[in-house]
Amino acid sequence: MREPSREPESPGLNSINSVMNQHLFLHEMLQPFNFEPTSSHEDFLEQMLSSVPPTPSSFPWADDHPPPGNSEDHSAAMRMRHQQISGAAAKALMLQQQLLLSRGFSAPMHDHNDVVDSSSPNSANPANDASIKGLFNVFTGLPGQNSNQSQQFHHLQGGGLQQSQSLSGAAAATSGDGAAGRSKQKVRARRGQATDPHSIAERLRRERIAERMKSLQELVPNANKTDKASMLDEIIDYVKFLQLQVKVLSMSRLGGAAAVAPLAPDKSPEGRQPAASNNSNKEGMAATEQQVAKLLEEDMGSAMQYLQGKGLCLMPISLATAISTATSHSRNPPHNGEAGGGGPSSPSTSVMTVQSSATTIGRKMSLQEAIAAPKLE
Amino acid sequence: MNIQPPNSSSIKSRFAVKFVQAMKRLSKRRGMGDRYKRYRATRAAARVSLAAAVGPERAWSRAVLRRIKKRRGLIGRTTTNPRRNLRGLVPGGKGMDYCSLLSETAHYITCLQAQVQVMQDMLHLSSP
Repeated sequence: MREPSREPESPGLNSINSVMNQHLFLHEMLQPFNFEPTSSHEDFLEQMLSSVPPTPSSFPWADDHPPPGNSEDHSAAMRMRHQQISGAAAKALMLQQQLLLSRGFSAPMHDHNDVVDSSSPNSANPANDASIKGLFNVFTGLPGQNSNQSQQFHHLQGGGLQQSQSLSGAAAATSGDGAAGRSKQKVRARRGQATDPHSIAERLRRERIAERMKSLQELVPNANKTDKASMLDEIIDYVKFLQLQVKVLSMSRLGGAAAVAPLAPDKSPEGRQPAASNNSNKEGMAATEQQVAKLLEEDMGSAMQYLQGKGLCLMPISLATAISTATSHSRNPPHNGEAGGGGPSSPSTSVMTVQSSATTIGRKMSLQEAIAAPKLE
Repeated sequence: MNIQPPNSSSIKSRFAVKFVQAMKRLSKRRGMGDRYKRYRATRAAARVSLAAAVGPERAWSRAVLRRIKKRRGLIGRTTTNPRRNLRGLVPGGKGMDYCSLLSETAHYITCLQAQVQVMQDMLHLSSP
């Protein structure tokens, strides 16, 4: 996680160039502000940064000019640095130096050089330290491609800025909620910093989540959105309920499973199991008929259930004849309107007359027929 | 990122056709006298038919179809661990970020509603 992402060498200086131009602008801007030590320093830096025109996160590192109009060792230091540091950290350093320059500190710059050269311990004066701290805190919020760069920044500052390191450690705890895999380490989210791309992205994400939750809330019946957690619970319960409904429906379909595909009644008159065969034969029908007749005398409900188990239904003769004449494949039976065919595509029906009553037992039609049946009326 | 909400009626018709076909195949199969087995197979057929009707355009349907190809337990998940977590409920919800999980849930709910309606209608049609 500590691998530095190096930009190629030649583009380095152009970014520095652009950054320096900005800093010169900043330098003039800084004059009217009154410099206060440590406490409001961070706010000041915020103001400063908010005025910086947004630079693309990947600098155009294509140019080779050394930065114009600066002190010699400054440019030298920068050249040195750009070889060591990648984009955002370099910018951080540059801004910091500008700040220090404007504050009239020349000595800390050299200290800074030493620190970057990783040779010296903490020799910076407390003000410098505070400014570095403040600057660093701000820049951890910068969009550096990955905050590996800020980590690298740590590394380069070395033990000299232990406080900033501990601060960043503390900053990890205060980072905005749900930095979902955007950066490998936690980035401190500065509240109220509207131009920070990180917070903008976070806000975008939160908005997306909110609108999704709203659309979900419309789907789920109980739509009193008191808070997000209870809404989530409602959603979970509803999904479980729907899945349970599917389970129940497929369970109840067991008895009537034969109804989906047109099946002939079972050969055995006793069995309530759905039939597996597709043939319709008269003997089976007759046996069923007898069984049904017997049941009808005892109990209508069980008769109906028996029929349903076999994939048959009870219907008035008139309807049955109407259906059978309407369907194309029906053959005229000898004495009762029995038609053959067992395939799912054949729209035939077979009817049986029960002498005892004026109803007929019609074989279950295929689903297409059932849908077509209302058209007959 | 939010694809348009599902067209309920088209999903219903597609699901109905596929489900009926699957049930026919099921009824022809041997060894399906056992009620529990038949119930499991029916539920699996319902799930698969729904996913096939939705197609590969949603992540959850892709996850279901993937599970078939892998020939793992189609229903095993939802029965064995009824989790409080939304990720456990929506198929394919494990490896998803929260944002897309929510949109997938919305689509999944709509499709489930359509499925329940179709199955209820079929049930009522077949045995009034």
